[in-house]
Amino acid sequence: MDRLVRRGEITEIVGRLSSGRTSLFVACLADVTAAGGMAALVDADGAFDPRSAAHAGVVLERVLWVRGDGRRDAAVRATDVLVRCPGFALVALDFGELPPRLALTAAFRLKLAVRRSDVALVLVGCRRIAGAGASLAVATEPDGIEWGGPAGRPTRLARLHTRLSVARGRGAPCIPEERSWCA
Amino acid sequence: MRFACARVPFFAAAAAERAEPTLREHALAVVVGAPPGTRVAEANATAREYGVLPGMTESEARARCATLVTRAAGAEADTSARAALLDAALGVSPRVEDGGAGIVHVDVRGLERLVGDDAAIAARLARAAHAVGLPARVGVASTRTIARMATWRERARLTVIAPADEAAWLARAPLDALELEPALAATFGTWGIRTVGELGALPRSGLAMRLGEAGLQAHDHAHGCDRTPFRAYAPPPFWEEALGLDWELESLDALARVLGVVLDRLCARLRAAAVAADALTLELALVSGARHERTIALAYPLQDPAPLLTLVTLDLEAHPPAVAITRVAVSAHAVTARASQARLWHPPAPALRHLAGAVARLARLVGPDNVGSPLLTDSHRPDAFTLQSFQPSHGEEIREPSWSEPRETSSRPDVGATPDREQPARAQLALRRLRPPRRVEVETVDDRPVRVVWGGWRRIVQSAGPWRVSGEWWEEPWARDEWDVACGDGTLCRLARDRVTGAWWLDAVYD
Repeated sequence: MDRLVRRGEITEIVGRLSSGRTSLFVACLADVTAAGGMAALVDADGAFDPRSAAHAGVVLERVLWVRGDGRRDAAVRATDVLVRCPGFALVALDFGELPPRLALTAAFRLKLAVRRSDVALVLVGCRRIAGAGASLAVATEPDGIEWGGPAGRPTRLARLHTRLSVARGRGAPCIPEERSWCA
Repeated sequence: MRFACARVPFFAAAAAERAEPTLREHALAVVVGAPPGTRVAEANATAREYGVLPGMTESEARARCATLVTRAAGAEADTSARAALLDAALGVSPRVEDGGAGIVHVDVRGLERLVGDDAAIAARLARAAHAVGLPARVGVASTRTIARMATWRERARLTVIAPADEAAWLARAPLDALELEPALAATFGTWGIRTVGELGALPRSGLAMRLGEAGLQAHDHAHGCDRTPFRAYAPPPFWEEALGLDWELESLDALARVLGVVLDRLCARLRAAAVAADALTLELALVSGARHERTIALAYPLQDPAPLLTLVTLDLEAHPPAVAITRVAVSAHAVTARASQARLWHPPAPALRHLAGAVARLARLVGPDNVGSPLLTDSHRPDAFTLQSFQPSHGEEIREPSWSEPRETSSRPDVGATPDREQPARAQLALRRLRPPRRVEVETVDDRPVRVVWGGWRRIVQSAGPWRVSGEWWEEPWARDEWDVACGDGTLCRLARDRVTGAWWLDAVYD
C-alpha cells in the first residue's frame, strides 16, 4: 500500500458502494498501523466498522476515530485540524455516498498543510472532490462476487473481486489492477 | 545524616518578583499598611543598595531611592512562592520540610549516588529553585540547624560544610545567624556574646536558670542540634497558582495573557517536581462577587504551558465569564509524568502537546463523544464496541503486515470473537455500518430473502445464510438471523431478521 499512500500527498479512493473502496482504504489503514504509525480517520457518516477493520489487521489503538454524525462541513474542518497536527502517518476522510463540494482553494490549502506536516491524506467517497489537489486518484469497480458452498445454493460469502484503475496520477505508481477481499 | 537548606533571601520581594518578573530590574519594596502610614515590609537587593530597609515608612524609602517601585504585600504571591520552593525541592529529594517562608530543608541522604557530592546536590537544589523563579542560597551540613545557619547572609550562593569543619564554622559564625528573638538577642548582646561559639561555651544549667526554655533552645542551636523531628512535606493533590489583579479584565485576549503568566509559573513548578497535570481547575473571581469555575480534564498529562493555554482558552471561548474578572487562579491535579521513549524504527507519533490541542479542537467540532479510539468489547452482539480516549503508546511490538497474501477461509469469520493479535492480517472485506440499522421490508421465498425495499425494490440475486446469533439472555435477550445478500445492482449487504419481533434490518453494506 506504500504505493497508494504517500506522505505529503493527497490520495483519493473513489468507487460506488460494494466496489471495494472501503476495503482498499482499510488495507491502507492496516498497513500504516501495523508498521507502528498513528492514523486518524474522519468518518463523516460514522460507518466505520472496527471489528472488520481489526480482522483486516488494523491496530485499533493507533487509530483516532472522529465521527462526523453526517455533518460534512465539520468533517472537512476536522480533517484540516488533523493534517496540521504533525506526527500522524495517515489521515483519512471518508465521505461515503454524499461527498460535499470542495472548493479548489480548500483542496489546495489541504494539499499545502499535508505537504508541510508530511502526512498522507486519503479521501474516500463515491466521486472525486479534491480535483487537481490530489496527486493520485484510484477508482474501484466491482469485478464479481465469489460464493462458497455447493453450486446453486451458496452457504457463505467468500470473496469480493475489485478492479482498480488510476483516475489521476502524476507519475502514477504501478498498482495491481485486481484485488480480492475475503469475507 | 546530611541536610540541605535552601533559603530565598528577601522572600516577600522575591515572591513579588516571581509574580511580576519585570520587577527584577527595579528597586522593589513590598509595603504594608494604608497610606500615609505605609511601611516597608521587605526590599530586594537593589533597593537595599540604596539604603531601603524593612520598617521604614514609604516616604523615607522613596527619599532614599527615587526610582523605588512598591507593591502591596500579597498573601497569594507568598503562598504560591512558598509552595513553588517546596515543589522545586521535591524534584531533588522526596523528603523535604517546610522551614517557614522562603526556607526549605531537604534530606539529602542517599542522593550522592544519584546526583553526586554535597556540592553537586547544593547546585541542583539552587538550579531547581531558580527554575521556579526563586533565587536561593543553599547550605549543606550534618543538621538542619547548621545548614540553615549556612544560608544566613553568606556571600557564597552555595555553602557546603564538611562534618569535621562544623565545630570550627560554628565557633566563628555571628550570633545573628541563629535568628534569635530580638529580646533574647539583645540579652546576649548585653552579656557580650557576639558569636555562636561564645554562646555554645556558656554553661547550659546557668542558661536554663536565667532564660528558661528559650535559653536552652538557643544553646542547642549553638551546638548545631535539631530540637524538632523532621516533618516531611506531603504535596497536595492540587497545585494552585493565583494572581490577584489591581484592574479588571474584560476581554478574553487580556485574560489569555494573564493566564499565560499563571500557567508559566504553574508549569515551571510541575517540571521542577517532574510531575504533570491531568486536570485543570480554573477559578475566576468576578467583579460581581461571583466565581466562574471551569474544570478541564486533559487527554494526557501535560506540563507544557502552550497547549494548556490553548485548551483553557478554547474552553473559555465556549463558556465565557459573564462579567469582568479581578482574580485568576489555576490549580492542577498533579500526576507522575511518564516519559515515552521513541523507538529507533518506529514512525514518529504526534507530540502530546500537539495532540492534546488537536483532540480538544476535534471535540469542540464534533462533540467529545465522537472522538477517540475504538475498543472492541467482549460480546457477540453485532457492532459491539466502545470509544476510549486516544492514547498512542510506543511500547507495543510492531507486527509485519501480511495483508497482501489472502488466506483461504473455511467458514464465515466469528462476528463475536475479538481478533487474535497474533493472527496474521489479510485482505479482509470491510463493512460499512448503518448506525442505527435501517428498518427494511423483505420479501422471502422458502424463508430466503428474494426482494428488499431499500430506496425502491431491489431484487436479491444471491444470498447466504442464515447465520444465527444470540446472546445476553440474562439481561436483554436478543436473537437474530443474519444474511449476506447480493442485490441486482451489485450491492452486497448484510440483512438481519430479529427472531423476537420478526422485523428485518439493513445492518451493513460490504464495500
